[in-house]
Amino acid sequence: MEICNSYSSSSVDSTNPSPSEYSVNLSLSLTFPSTSPQRARKQDWPPIKPRLRDTLKGRRRLLQRDYDTCLFVKVYMEGVPIGRKLDLSTFSGYESLLENLSHMFNTSIICGNHRDRKHHVLTYQDTDGDWMMVGDIPWEMFLETVRRLKITKPERC
Amino acid sequence: MDLRLPSKVLEHIFSFVDSNEDRNSVSLVCKSWFETERLTRKRVFVRNCYAVTPAAVARRFPGMRSLTLKGKPHFADYNLVPDGWGGYAWPWIEAMAEKSPSLEELRLKRMVVTDECLEKIAASFKDFKVLVLTSCEGFSTDGLAAIAVACRNLTELELRECIVEDLGGDWLSYFPETLTSLVSLDFSCLDSEVKLSDLERLVSRSPNLKSLKLNRAVSLDALGSLLRLAPQLVELGTGSFSDKLDQEAVSKLAQVFTELKELKSLSGLWDVLPEYIPLLYSVCPGLTSLNLSYATVQMPDLVELLSRCSNLQKLWVMDLIEDKGLEAVASSCKELRELRVFPSGADVDETNVAMTEQGLVSVSEACPNLESVLYFCAQFTNAALATIAKTRPNLKCFRLCVIEPFAPDHKTHQPLDEGFKAIVESCKDLQRLSVSGLLTDKAFEYIGTHGKKLRMLSIAFAGDSDLMLHHLLSGCESLNKLEIRDCPFGDTALLENAAKLETMRSLWMSSCGVSFGACKLMSEKMPKLNVEVIDEHTPETRPDSSAVEKIYIYRTLAGPRLDMPEFVWTIHKNPEIGVSHLAIE
Repeated sequence: MEICNSYSSSSVDSTNPSPSEYSVNLSLSLTFPSTSPQRARKQDWPPIKPRLRDTLKGRRRLLQRDYDTCLFVKVYMEGVPIGRKLDLSTFSGYESLLENLSHMFNTSIICGNHRDRKHHVLTYQDTDGDWMMVGDIPWEMFLETVRRLKITKPERC
Repeated sequence: MDLRLPSKVLEHIFSFVDSNEDRNSVSLVCKSWFETERLTRKRVFVRNCYAVTPAAVARRFPGMRSLTLKGKPHFADYNLVPDGWGGYAWPWIEAMAEKSPSLEELRLKRMVVTDECLEKIAASFKDFKVLVLTSCEGFSTDGLAAIAVACRNLTELELRECIVEDLGGDWLSYFPETLTSLVSLDFSCLDSEVKLSDLERLVSRSPNLKSLKLNRAVSLDALGSLLRLAPQLVELGTGSFSDKLDQEAVSKLAQVFTELKELKSLSGLWDVLPEYIPLLYSVCPGLTSLNLSYATVQMPDLVELLSRCSNLQKLWVMDLIEDKGLEAVASSCKELRELRVFPSGADVDETNVAMTEQGLVSVSEACPNLESVLYFCAQFTNAALATIAKTRPNLKCFRLCVIEPFAPDHKTHQPLDEGFKAIVESCKDLQRLSVSGLLTDKAFEYIGTHGKKLRMLSIAFAGDSDLMLHHLLSGCESLNKLEIRDCPFGDTALLENAAKLETMRSLWMSSCGVSFGACKLMSEKMPKLNVEVIDEHTPETRPDSSAVEKIYIYRTLAGPRLDMPEFVWTIHKNPEIGVSHLAIE
C-alpha cells in the first residue's frame, strides 16, 4: 500500500485551509472517500470541548450582529395603547430581558414555563408572523427571529 | 517457622497505604498480601471500563466504597468518536447494585449515563454520598431529580461539562428539606433556570457547603442573595455576570464579595461586563484557582484583575489575555503552577494575533513552579520552545496546540523538531506531551530517545512516515496512552511493535494509513488486546489493503465487548478470519 507523502510539502502555505480540506490533503489510501459528509459537518479542530466551541460560536454571532443591525423591537403591554421600544442586543439572555421589562412596565412578567394566574406572560411575534411564547428556543436563535414583543394577560395563554 | 504476619496486622499496615499504585504493588508480593489488600481496598479506579468486567471488579474488592470509571477515549472530547460507540455505565451500576450495595461514591468520566442508571443508583445504594460526572451524556434532568430525592446523605453532586437533556429546572426542587449534608454542588453545564427560592433554601440548610457552581441562567442579582447565605464558600462558579444592575445593587454585591473570606477558587463569569470586574478585586488575593475560559475579558481588564492575584496557582484564560497580559501574570503570579490558554475563536482563522509564543515564554521565565501548560496559539518558534525548556525543566505536562496545522517556526520556517527536542531533553519528568506545528520524523526520534517518563502523548498532523510511530513505540518506556490523528504512517511500525501495546492502556489512531489487513493481523497476534476498527463504512466489507478511518486498541482482561455498534468492528465479529476469542472471564 502506497503512502502518499505529498501532503507534507504541499501543506506549508500561507492560506488557512479549512479542516475539511486537510482530509483531502491527507488522503493516504484512496479506496474510500476521505471527506465524508460527517467530517465536513463535525467540528474536530482545533481540539476544544463542545461547550467552549458552542460558546465561542454564539459569541461570534452576537458580535457580528453588533456591527450589522440594531435589535430595537416594539413592546406592548396588553390593555395599554402606547408601546415602548427596546434594544434586545443589550441583554445577555431571557433572565435579564424579563427583569428589565418587569421594571419598565412595573409588573411581574415571566416566560411560558412557569405559568400561573398572577403573572403576565411574555410573547413575541416571529419572522413568520406567528405569536409564540418567549423562552422556548435558545437566546441567540430568539434574537434572530423576534420581530416584536407583547406582554399578555395570564388567561390568554 | 511461620513468618507470615497475621492478617489483622497486615490490614493495619495497609490502612496507611493510600495510593492505588502502591496498593497494586502490594498485591503482587504474595497471595496473603493480595488477599488482605483486596479486602481492604476502599477506592477503586478503573481507567478503561472495557479493560475488565464489572463482575470481576466487584468480586475482587468486596469492601469497595468508591468507584472511578473512565469510558470513551480522550479524543471523544473533540468529536472524534462517533455517537453510540460505547462507554455505558449501566452494566457497572447494575453489577455494583447487586454486589456492592455499600458503595458511597461514583465518579464517571466520558461515559454514557442514562436516567435508568441514575434511578438505579438512587434506589440501590443506601449510603450514597458522591456523584461526579465528567463529560458524560445520555441522561436528563429527570435523572437528577431521582438522585436528589432519594440520596439522603448526599454530599457531592457535580456535573462537569456533561451533555444533559434539559427538561427544566424543577430537579433542584426535589432535594428534601431534610438534606443538610451538601458539601459540593455543580450544575454549571445545565441551561434551564432553577427556582431561586429552592436554591436559596438548599444553600441555607447546607452549613457544610464549600463548593457551589451555578449555571449561566442564575442572574447576578440571584448570585448576591446566594452568597449572602453562603459566605463560607471555598469554590464559587458564578452564573451570568452581565445583567445590568443599578448602582445600589452593584455596591451591595461588592459588599457581599468582601465577605467571602474563604474563597480560593472562582469560575463561571459568563460574559462578564468590564464594569463588574472590580467587584472581584476583594477576593483576588486569596484565590489559588481562577477559570476565565468563559469570560470575555479584554487584556487591560485582565491585567488589572490578575495583578491582584498574587497567590494564584491555577489560571485558565482565553487568548484575549495577549502577550501583555501574560507578562502581567509573569510578574504578579509567582505561585503559578498551571496555565491554560484557550482560543477565543472557534475556527482556525479566528485566532487572536496579539498573543504569540512570547506570552508563554514570559510566564515560563518568571514562574518557578509552573509545571502544567496547555497553550493554544497561532504559531510558535523553536527558540521559544528552547527557552521554555531551559527555564522550566520541572514541567510535567506540556500541551502545545499550534492551531494552524503544519505551521513551521514562523521566523526560520523550519519544522519545530528542535524545539520539542529541547523540551523532552530538558524536562526529565515530563509525563504528558501534546505536539503540534510542522514536525518531521526527527521530532519523534527525539521524543523516543528522551521522553522516558512520558505517559501520555497526543499528536496531530505530524510526521512523515512509519518511522515516527516506530520511534515512539520502541523508545518511550513509560508510554501508557498514545493518541494520533491525521498522521501518515502505515502498518509496518504498528505490527513490529505490537507487543508494546500490551504494556499500554490504549492507542488511538484516526485518519492515519493503517490498513484493515493489519488490524486483522494485530487481532490474531495479540489476544490480550481489543483491536477496534471504527469506520462508518461497515468495516468488515472493506478489502484488506484499504486504510481504515479510526482504530482504538486497548489491553483488556474482559475479552470482546458485547455492546459494539455497527460501525465498530473487532475480529470477534468475523471469527472465520482468524482465531475466535469469545471466551469471557
